[in-house]
Amino acid sequence: MGVLDLVRPPATSPRRLSHRAMAGMAGPPPRRLPRLLLHLTLGALVVWSVVPFVWALQSSVKFTRDAITRVPVFWGYELTSGAYRAFWLESDDQAFLPIIATALGAVLVSVVVARIGRRRQVSWPWYSASVVIVALTLFAIPMRFEMTRNYDYLINSVIVTVLTLTISISLGLLAGYGLARFSGISGAVILIVALAFRALPRTAFALPYFVVADRLGITNSRLVIVIALVALNQPFTIWMLRSFFMEIPRAIEEAAMVDGATRFQAFWRVIVPIMWPGIIATSLFTLLLAYNEFLLVRVLTVTEWTLPVALVALTGGESTTTLTQAAAASVSITLPIVVVIIIFQKHLVKGLAAGAVKG
Amino acid sequence: MQRRAFWLFTGPSVVLMLVLMVFPVAFAAQLSLNRVLLRDLRTWTFVGLENYREVLADPAFWNSLRFTLQYVVTTVPIQMALGLAIALLLDRIGRGRSIYLAALLMPFIVTPVVGTLLYRDLFTRGGLIAFVAELVTGEAFVVTAGNVRALIMVHAVWFTTPFAMIVYLAGLQTLPQERLEAAAIDGASFLQSLRSVVLPHLRSLTVFIGLISVMDAYRTFDNVFVFAGSRFSEAHTLQVYNFYVALSNQIGRVGKGHAIAILNVIGIFVVLIPFLVRTWREQLAER
Repeated sequence: MGVLDLVRPPATSPRRLSHRAMAGMAGPPPRRLPRLLLHLTLGALVVWSVVPFVWALQSSVKFTRDAITRVPVFWGYELTSGAYRAFWLESDDQAFLPIIATALGAVLVSVVVARIGRRRQVSWPWYSASVVIVALTLFAIPMRFEMTRNYDYLINSVIVTVLTLTISISLGLLAGYGLARFSGISGAVILIVALAFRALPRTAFALPYFVVADRLGITNSRLVIVIALVALNQPFTIWMLRSFFMEIPRAIEEAAMVDGATRFQAFWRVIVPIMWPGIIATSLFTLLLAYNEFLLVRVLTVTEWTLPVALVALTGGESTTTLTQAAAASVSITLPIVVVIIIFQKHLVKGLAAGAVKG
Repeated sequence: MQRRAFWLFTGPSVVLMLVLMVFPVAFAAQLSLNRVLLRDLRTWTFVGLENYREVLADPAFWNSLRFTLQYVVTTVPIQMALGLAIALLLDRIGRGRSIYLAALLMPFIVTPVVGTLLYRDLFTRGGLIAFVAELVTGEAFVVTAGNVRALIMVHAVWFTTPFAMIVYLAGLQTLPQERLEAAAIDGASFLQSLRSVVLPHLRSLTVFIGLISVMDAYRTFDNVFVFAGSRFSEAHTLQVYNFYVALSNQIGRVGKGHAIAILNVIGIFVVLIPFLVRTWREQLAER
């Protein structure tokens, strides 16, 4: 039953069908006004949620003189890409469009390659190729164009996020599976200790890491940040992945093991492939954690910043000349994560509903 | 599963957590007993519990503790109630839900420091809310020591509510439809079926969201660090106070900072022990 939940699209679940059936038969006829009220309420909530983003988007395409007026200029102002250029480009006489075109082109090609791969029997070479295309483009751009330090911070952000995600989920899958299937008392101990770790304040790690890194001479290392983030994220990862594994009946891997597979083969070939909704949901949370981390990176780096730290450094001075630039930076930082979430949000709800929320 | 297989699967993760979480906290405990300064991290002078005595005598510590508690008990219930309300609304919507969902998730997914900067900009000169406030009151709007805490907490509700919302929404998807139908046949109103069917179904989920939210609110850092910064020390939470004591160039008392970190650890455990005991019992019952 649990597995069926995982693979079945929500539209065909009995819940939705009977909802409609109810409206048609037993319940009162659908009322117009409450429906309108529902949309109005949600609309107001949407406004409350997105106003700061709309405002920043507007500031980011204004000239400074239009951005800092006492009475805000809502329309009719002159548009400029100046703030974005100042944040990303080293010299002002460079054209922006070729860079954007290169980046978008790479993403497009990579998506196409991944789509082709999905229909093939063996898809991993296609997926790998699609990742390599994006990675190569990312590293090639500063060779061809003169970018500011901020581009290096973007690359750092990408490296830290991708590595944290990969290592965190790999270790978490193994541990989550073990904890879901083992009934000994040590499993319970590990889970409780992990839960306690999840509660610990960041400074309790950041400060000792800072002192130890200083002593070992490994400050400013992206690898140290990745390892620290993986560790900090493990408790959440193993709890969440475990709850997904709990939903998968043991009979499935037991059948594979009767057919001669080892425990690990059964896990890797049979269980993991049906775990994708859980992996995606957990990955999204991990992605947010790694991409958004501020305190640890701020404490453990001197120059190898990620974007959040760079942005705070830029805006710490409160000066109005950086206001449009900060807005442009904010929009630039937010855009990738928004795209990812829009693509995967359905998996987020479905994934949470299928596993994580039952415990 | 055999014990050996279990440790093979779980070992790497456990070792990582032990090395990178137990060791640092133990190290912090040791360091907190020494006088260590930021400008000379290698020189440790053992001072016993002196750092702790100093922290407990520091008005800034009590001030940040008070605000942290105020922040937790104010924002957590609001975000949970609001999250549940929005989830119930979203659950009643068929088409267009994903668009609403994407928009409503924005405050949660945006990088906290970025979200805080955007929010802060609304209140600065030329900002939207500063302008509206000036229209209403006739006076120029300024962030002051008087309103900065309230502004921080409103912002906290803004970016934490979507988490409660999405978990509740997921929980509503698993609600057995038969029970709702049975309630409807019995003539239950919306509020009645909410109380007798929906809320009981979401009870364990509420504990889960409450647990996560309290943990995160207690250790909130990014939003306060950016919004209050060094300008409004009255709005510092424990973590921000801790950061400034240990790592700001003016103070730079690393040893004292570690004492604060250890006190923070003790503090969160005092709050969490009932949750941990409850989870422990559940775990034992499962086995």
